[in-house]
Amino acid sequence: MANTKTDEKLQKIAKDLLESGEVSLIIGYTKGSNPYRMRPLFITKAEEAGKLSFSSHAVQDLAVFLKKPEVKKFGKIGIIVKGCDEKAVNALIQEYQVSRDNIKIIGVECNGVIKQNLADKCETNVSESTVYDKCLICEEHIPVIYDFLAESEEPKLVLSGNVKPYSGIEKLESMSAEEKNAFWAQEFDKCIKCYACRQACPLCYCSRCIVEKNMPQWIDTNSEETGNAQWNLIRAYHLSGRCIGCGECERACPVNIPLMLINEKMAKDVYNMFGYKSGLDINAKPVFGVFSESDFNDFIK
Amino acid sequence: MARIGVFVCWCGSNIAGTVDVEKVREEAAKIPGVVSALDYKYMCSDPGQNSLRNIIKEKNLTGIVLAACSPHMHENTFRKAAAKEGLNPYFVEIANIREQVSWVHEDKERATAKAVDLMKMMVEKVKRDRPIEDVRVPLNKKALVIGGGIAGIQAALDIANGGVEVILVEKEPSIGGRMIQLDETFPTLDCSSCIMTPKMVEANQHPNIKLYTYSEVEDISGYIGNFKVKIKKKARSVVEKDCTGCGECWNACPMHKNVKSEFNVNLSERTAIYVPFPQAVPLVPVLDRSVCLHFKKGGKCQKCYDACGPKCINFDLQDEIIEETVGAIVASTGYDLMDTSMYGEYGYGKYKDVISGLQFERLLSASGPTEGVIKRPSDGKTPQTIVFVQCVGSRDPEKGVPYCSKVCCMYTAKHAKLFAHKVHGSQSYVFYIDIRSTSKGYEEFVRSTMEQDGAIYLRGRVSKIYEDEGKLIVKGADTLSGNQVEIAADMVVLATGVIPKKGSDKLAQMLGISYDKYGFFTESHPKLRPAESSTAGIFLAGMAQGPRDIPESVVSGSAAASKILGLFSKNEYEVEGTIAGVNEATCVACFYCQRVCAYNAISRKEIKDRSGKLVKVVANVNPGLCTGCGACVNACFSKSIDVKGFMDDQIYAEIKALAV
Repeated sequence: MANTKTDEKLQKIAKDLLESGEVSLIIGYTKGSNPYRMRPLFITKAEEAGKLSFSSHAVQDLAVFLKKPEVKKFGKIGIIVKGCDEKAVNALIQEYQVSRDNIKIIGVECNGVIKQNLADKCETNVSESTVYDKCLICEEHIPVIYDFLAESEEPKLVLSGNVKPYSGIEKLESMSAEEKNAFWAQEFDKCIKCYACRQACPLCYCSRCIVEKNMPQWIDTNSEETGNAQWNLIRAYHLSGRCIGCGECERACPVNIPLMLINEKMAKDVYNMFGYKSGLDINAKPVFGVFSESDFNDFIK
Repeated sequence: MARIGVFVCWCGSNIAGTVDVEKVREEAAKIPGVVSALDYKYMCSDPGQNSLRNIIKEKNLTGIVLAACSPHMHENTFRKAAAKEGLNPYFVEIANIREQVSWVHEDKERATAKAVDLMKMMVEKVKRDRPIEDVRVPLNKKALVIGGGIAGIQAALDIANGGVEVILVEKEPSIGGRMIQLDETFPTLDCSSCIMTPKMVEANQHPNIKLYTYSEVEDISGYIGNFKVKIKKKARSVVEKDCTGCGECWNACPMHKNVKSEFNVNLSERTAIYVPFPQAVPLVPVLDRSVCLHFKKGGKCQKCYDACGPKCINFDLQDEIIEETVGAIVASTGYDLMDTSMYGEYGYGKYKDVISGLQFERLLSASGPTEGVIKRPSDGKTPQTIVFVQCVGSRDPEKGVPYCSKVCCMYTAKHAKLFAHKVHGSQSYVFYIDIRSTSKGYEEFVRSTMEQDGAIYLRGRVSKIYEDEGKLIVKGADTLSGNQVEIAADMVVLATGVIPKKGSDKLAQMLGISYDKYGFFTESHPKLRPAESSTAGIFLAGMAQGPRDIPESVVSGSAAASKILGLFSKNEYEVEGTIAGVNEATCVACFYCQRVCAYNAISRKEIKDRSGKLVKVVANVNPGLCTGCGACVNACFSKSIDVKGFMDDQIYAEIKALAV
């Protein structure tokens, strides 16, 4: 496949940045050996810029690499991000994991990415029924913050409203506590504690995760009922008010636990209660990092 | 190897009545590591403490658990007893089987089972106790008082008389605060300025007091013993040391009709260069640049400069930032009156002769705009009938505030009394909800206003005030007789509720002290620590804490002073060692801990290698500020912060003890 105009623009930006020495590493996408998959690309030389590409198969959230020590050591980094991924960069800046001065955000306009199971069946058409749920509710087709922007040539995503994103949340909300418990017990029963969800998450950046704390061992390490519930619940809490909804955890899960149901439900509750959405403002105080005398306390009975 | 002693207290029948203390003792003896178990009638008594000390010695104990009352009661008692035997005092743990068991349960069997559980938890915890050393913070023996009203002046004088240097910062051009605006004071009717000015002068002349008027605290950082303060000394445009206070400048100022006097609550005008009142301390004018013609019209007018003998007027003076280091702070920022214009039915702001209580004070005052002759603002006539309305804004959760402003009952009685004294044959009416006159001489004072000075008190509220042919018609209810009343008055005085000084919430945030939903500073304990704020080293005084009268403000100023003098009697301040600590190896510097810390105790720390290269940034706890509240522990995702004495493994062991 030939380069699109978007690709050319990305390549030019990357080439200029590397040539001028403004960054020493660029993280982007390149075409995979399977033409319906894009894979991450790390380049340090201007002449490699031609490999960069973007398409509706560029599913992965590259912001996840920003937390890696081997990436951090490059200092000044350029990163190619879709709107959703860029929110992860913002959250990392908010939480002091990335300095705004050390990062060049190369935004790319995105009209939705195709679900990987469909892409693997050679799907190339971006439509309501082929993209992820996150794309259907996306309000940041163009990233909130960027230093450079590569516009898309592709047609805009048309929404008819026939596909209801995250419809599971409503179902969940209508359940009784016992039903919810049973539902999640069944889902978590599948968990094999591989922690792929954690590894894929751009915001799970602790160098020692709470599950690795073993004096004392708060969370059972074996994959059985209690430990699985503990792990998935603590992850939900650690990400509430922080998750930016890239969906990488769910995509990474080898046993298909609907993790985005948890994350989106938490995000929805946080928005309803505190009017806060994660990843939109690098200067905002994270909602659970605010100590306020005026916090509501009507839940104390 | 742990050698634990368990001591079960009966607390007379307080515990033993509901808990089988012998059973608790027997169960304790069975726990591995417990080498001694004892029950005794009163562990806190001298014989109780002595047996505890003897057993520590005899059995060479490594830790002790007291199954007794709340740690708030006697933790310190037992810690001290243990320390006398050479045990680190933090190896004492309390299982609260009184407040948490015997006082709240009835079923003896189940209460005993719970007491055993609590005791077991503490045994497991004490096994994991580590020695903790208290933190010692050096003290800069200098105090800052913010706000130069009566409370602040009293605090400053008491501290200064105790031999400690004080910096007194006042926002207005003169100290004196609200009290100097008042006429005579209840219940003794001494003239406010007669008793206030000597204190103001004393504060100004005291060798230990450094006075900054027309100045504001701009920034505060640090902690008890070591607060760094930035004071903004606003440009006065007058060189203070040269000024004689002669008054030639303000007499020469052409701006004498357009600017309302703040001191006289808008009842008179002042000039652009002015002193707020003749007894101002210091008697040095301030040039209000927002209205001065020199500044507004490009430097043409300099009449004040021309009139000034010592030529101390300097239009080029700039704001100055002064930095000071102090060991303790008194916040005494006082109060404002509520804006009564929201009570449209009372017509404040609409009818000139509906005034606030503070405005009436100025009309009564000999140094006020009418030189003490009561004249109504509209036409300068002396009113014959005045209606006083109490609780305007106070005790009104709908429109105003739910709290009682405390001083209004008394000052209204005083107003009615002084009105009767000054205008013979006059009549006053007072609408009230209740009369609150509970201090010494107060009830008698209100009575005499009613009985000797003929004020008519009507229990009820006013529904409407309107103007009709030069009279203010006041419509209200007299709930005692059940009648509607209509009074044609010449003037109406509203006893407006008090609210915290504007901007006091900002100051509280800067100081890191807590305040209630109205903005009043909150005490560390409402009953037992009324002079202390929630932050160590910061004390409270006066109306900034809540409504109070002059004697109470003076008492609170003195209380804050005595706390500071007590603090400064030592060279170091000792903080309990149970404070937060960071695991630097696992901290990822997300600083959620810093965000949730109410005490500004967490800062960034850079870890560098030997060559000075930055290795990582981590959170760092300032022991002088940390109170060990544990908010940071909850906020930390990677469990990299812990409070000493409440470490993760200890809490875990406690929970495990329950599960067995």
